[in-house]
Amino acid sequence: MTRPIVPNGSTPFRVVLVGFGPVGARLVEELLPAVRSGEIGLTVVGVESAHAYNRVLVAEYAVGGTSLDAMSLADRDEMELAGVRLLTGVQVASIEREAHTVTLDDGELLPYDRLVLATGARANVPTLDGVERHRRDRMSLEKYGAALIGRDDALPAGITSLRDLDDAERVLEAVRDRRRIVVLGAGVLGLEIALAAAHAGAQVCVVHHGPHPMPRNLDRGGGQVLRTALRRTGVSVIAHSRAEAVGFRTDDDGTRRFDFLVTADGKTLHGDLLLLSCGVTPRTDLAVLAGLRTATGIVVDADLRSWTDPDISAIGDCAQVVERTEETAGRRDLPGAPSGLIGPGWRQAAWLARQLVAVARGQEPETSAPAERDAIVALKAEHVDVVAVGQVTADPWEDDALVPSRGIAQWADAEHGRYVKMITDGGVLTGFVSIGMPRTAAELTLLFERRAELPADRSMLLRFDGPDYDPRDDADAFAPTSTVCWCNAVTVEGIETSASCGNTTVDGVGRDTRAGTGCGGCKGRIAEVLARYADNEEATRLTG
Amino acid sequence: MTGASTPTHCPYCALQCAMSLTASPAASSAGSADAPSAPVTVAGRDFPTNRGGLCKKGWTSAELLRAPSRLLAPLVRGEDGELHESGWDEALDLVAARLRGIRASHGADAVGVFGGGGLTNEKAYQLGKFARLALGTSRIDYNGRFCMSSAAAAGNRAFGVDRGLPFPLEDLDGAATVLLLGSNPGETMPPFIGHLAGAQAAGGLVVVDPRRTATARLTDDGKGMHVQPAPGTDLVLLLGLIHLVIAEGLVDDEYVATRTTGFDGLRRSVAAWWPERVQSITGVAALTLRRLARRLASGAPTFILTGRGVEQHVDGTDTATAAINLALLLGLPGRPGSGYGTLTGQGNGQGGREHGQKCDQLPGYRKITDPDARAHVARVWGVAPDVIPGPGIPAVELLQSLGRPGGLRALMVHGSNVVISSPNAGAVRHGLESLDFLVVCDFFRSETADLADVVLPVAQWAEEEGTMTSLEGRVIRRLPALDPPEGVRDELWILHELARRLDAPSVFHVRPEDVFEELRLASEGGIADYSGIDYAMLDAGEAAYWPYPRGSRGTPRLFADRFAHADGLARLVSVRVRAEVEHPSPADVLTLVTGRLLEHYQSGAQTRRVPELADAQPEALATVHPATAARFDIRDGDTVELVNSRGVVRCRARLSTDIRPDAVFVPFHFAGLQTANLLTSDAVDPVSAMPEFKTNLVSIRPISEAVA
Repeated sequence: MTRPIVPNGSTPFRVVLVGFGPVGARLVEELLPAVRSGEIGLTVVGVESAHAYNRVLVAEYAVGGTSLDAMSLADRDEMELAGVRLLTGVQVASIEREAHTVTLDDGELLPYDRLVLATGARANVPTLDGVERHRRDRMSLEKYGAALIGRDDALPAGITSLRDLDDAERVLEAVRDRRRIVVLGAGVLGLEIALAAAHAGAQVCVVHHGPHPMPRNLDRGGGQVLRTALRRTGVSVIAHSRAEAVGFRTDDDGTRRFDFLVTADGKTLHGDLLLLSCGVTPRTDLAVLAGLRTATGIVVDADLRSWTDPDISAIGDCAQVVERTEETAGRRDLPGAPSGLIGPGWRQAAWLARQLVAVARGQEPETSAPAERDAIVALKAEHVDVVAVGQVTADPWEDDALVPSRGIAQWADAEHGRYVKMITDGGVLTGFVSIGMPRTAAELTLLFERRAELPADRSMLLRFDGPDYDPRDDADAFAPTSTVCWCNAVTVEGIETSASCGNTTVDGVGRDTRAGTGCGGCKGRIAEVLARYADNEEATRLTG
Repeated sequence: MTGASTPTHCPYCALQCAMSLTASPAASSAGSADAPSAPVTVAGRDFPTNRGGLCKKGWTSAELLRAPSRLLAPLVRGEDGELHESGWDEALDLVAARLRGIRASHGADAVGVFGGGGLTNEKAYQLGKFARLALGTSRIDYNGRFCMSSAAAAGNRAFGVDRGLPFPLEDLDGAATVLLLGSNPGETMPPFIGHLAGAQAAGGLVVVDPRRTATARLTDDGKGMHVQPAPGTDLVLLLGLIHLVIAEGLVDDEYVATRTTGFDGLRRSVAAWWPERVQSITGVAALTLRRLARRLASGAPTFILTGRGVEQHVDGTDTATAAINLALLLGLPGRPGSGYGTLTGQGNGQGGREHGQKCDQLPGYRKITDPDARAHVARVWGVAPDVIPGPGIPAVELLQSLGRPGGLRALMVHGSNVVISSPNAGAVRHGLESLDFLVVCDFFRSETADLADVVLPVAQWAEEEGTMTSLEGRVIRRLPALDPPEGVRDELWILHELARRLDAPSVFHVRPEDVFEELRLASEGGIADYSGIDYAMLDAGEAAYWPYPRGSRGTPRLFADRFAHADGLARLVSVRVRAEVEHPSPADVLTLVTGRLLEHYQSGAQTRRVPELADAQPEALATVHPATAARFDIRDGDTVELVNSRGVVRCRARLSTDIRPDAVFVPFHFAGLQTANLLTSDAVDPVSAMPEFKTNLVSIRPISEAVA
């Protein structure tokens, strides 16, 4: 739809944002100047009543590692002062695309020129005997709309996922009481909460059906090293186990609550809390109801606008970017998925904000957001260091004629929990795994982000974590060229020469060479050099 | 030993080490032709900052007093295009006539003045007054813009005052932790490092630098840690530390509540900088960040100090602000035995920025736009307030305007060698060449003097008197040990003579003490108030720290009870990272890091003429990591070419693991094709953070000696 251009911009370009998580908050922040200047009229609808907070830190919050204040991303007062209309604790019931309005659950109608969906994702609830799940296809949504949209399935007492603050409170209670927590799923989020909870004093057991933890991110070698590292920190890991059912007990107050998890291979795992960490699904309910094309997420083109309706954009965890070509347009299943990571979501928010401002000013908008590369996954845990990105399953001994430019370097020290694998294409990193080597991980992260070529000697990267990383030429404190006095740049050799001319005291050497006449911090070392020199002289005299 | 010794201070850096000068015995001062021996001998003198020590530069400083290349008469460019010696009257008449003429045909703002952070307080003050009253121009600024202005802006914004170290340097001795951000005092002011011994002994010296510098090595053997972020990522590193301090509950809540404002905004602004994200941008492991945050918050005496490494960025003000925010959250500023400071570089870098050399300031760190400040200074100068021009333009913009339409047609340069030390030096040279008239005051024919129409030879430090304000805000005395050579004049005399020839209002004193007495009055009531200080008290050895209002005892330590804003609170100013740091730079370029060597000072105009220093470091060497060298096929000692859109530098390569593989280091002290600043950007910090990250990227390649 095109908006009549009014001279002196008296009609602001109306943007309605649905979703006030970290990605939504970033969009608001980027739009604030244009809201202040009256070019954009912005209304934000958020389901949660708390201010936008940094969801990345929810696991920290859940173990008492940080406070809500420290997670807060947006300033309600500042937003409202700028002219943003912020509605929290409300949800959108429907989108009327023809009329360009959304209807809220309290009946209010919000008109828009551009609707932005940043509804995020909900935690997956796996198929478990004893836990009820809702279908969310279009028919179910039309039938039970109000009960399903924007709401997650209610879980029985003692079972929780970990997406929002309410979830975090449940986990925090168990952690504080040092309860036994069963974590279902060994993806990065499951491991983060498992490690943090164990560190905070809870008893933690991780159950997963894959062969090793973080199967989406790690190769076999990395997975094995990580499993060993996890055990050392006190987190028990049960692999190859598909969860099948949950059993309940009844509390004194009559509450039916989680008691044990049963796996397909017949294990029964008792616990006080079952924490589901089985991935997330984009919240597409509103889009489905409005007839927008969805696949895993809401399908948008490279310009982040819906394939179905260019006046609707989607960003963050609910958006699936698929470039619309003749080939993709004809497909029923579409490639890709939302990354589930915050970095790409923030970049989308920043880019979309620029685009909206351009549209509001009647300028030519940029046509496509910058393409995202594989996102780096870093396990946020203090005692186990894991960073990985890209396709890392390739085998170093495999001679793949299809990718002649590929190089693979690998280092494994299972005993000490260290593992590094680097995959390069033409010398440039395309993927890596680093476990237990924090400096190397940091360096590889940087090199990957910068698309930099690796040094031909890949072992240089391992040495960052070595105790002797500093192959400087004066590592021998008494090498002739080793500097003793920094203030006056006097070397061991200079002091020995002075000593050979008869300056055998620290003061004497100082007068001769100025060594020790700056800050004086090296006087002890000058004395050592002199003593060593005198000893050598003595030895020479006796043997000569 | 003959004759009495003169107690004075070193001519070089802001540490202003105390030294004694004693006349050399005449009989033995023959020397050789190319290196006549110094007329005075230098000895270290006990003083709280240097405790009797001197570095190599200080020890050899007297050798320049009778250096054969010293200028001993004014030089005037003749019809033949060459500089020829001339008499003083002739030279000064010419300068006055040309400046008068250019002013008449192009307006007062067509004449500019460029000062230096090495000038005494008296000269810096007089230069500002001369520009505004004798030339009537607003166009004055100085080379301190290249080093101190970001830290100064950040300090003013947060604390309401800019004194580099708001505490005596000796306070550092008792520290358990010292965080040095982008500073290399081990080479730039070596005697300073004696004050780090306490932190070293406590295992708490933390040096943040992309290079493994001499200072970084002081952390070896359990004395602390060296944190090596990728160049240009300091701001992200600091935001990550602030995030951790807040997230882990390490904030000094009571201090933040009672002594600062702005915490809520700050907290939100760093919520997005968790350690793993910071790691992916800085290359510093999350583990290291956590350790560092906890160390800083241990409650033991802790200092955070910044240097040019974090300040000389287009977001330098914001980076210095982030360092201040970190210090404030930890409750350091004003706490006895702890604090935040910035290490001023040039000899009088502190005093030089307080008394009117800056385009927007009047003496006493007063704002030139403030009507009360203008009225006060006008009263001292005996002129009407509207005679004083308004604010001018800062150094880089001033230099960019050389010879341009509406820009400068004439420039006077004092105590600065802009052809070497300015960013984008090639453009500066071009600008100087396109001027109608250039006057340079210097001791030597510097690279800038080479381009001048008139060069006026001036006295060196040991031949003049005045005051300097050291990095700790202490006003100290410079005393003459000998007379200048015949034919050399003091700048105060030159300004006096020119003011007379230009029919300037007010009085331009020649005696330093008379100028200082006037400076006292002009600064009275200002932020940098010197009104309670006089020569006699300094000569008696009093440690005088500003602000020193009349009748007070000075202020060794600021912020004990309040900050300098009207409400007494410090400002936590939220700063943002420009999006660009998240985007990669092209793979085949390196980040150029420029910096200093122990043996040289600033543009090297002085130290390159001291044989002992020049022999030790005769040329610029580009430090390259061996892995990078292998990639570009460079061997140790090869001549390499560093290129970007601004220029080309040719020098030899030195291979060392002291530098990160993604960077190359070149010292900026050298001339000709080795001028590192030919490659540096003149994009400036907007204080309000406009993005720019592509500065100082260079490509590198070896070239055969035949080409070189």
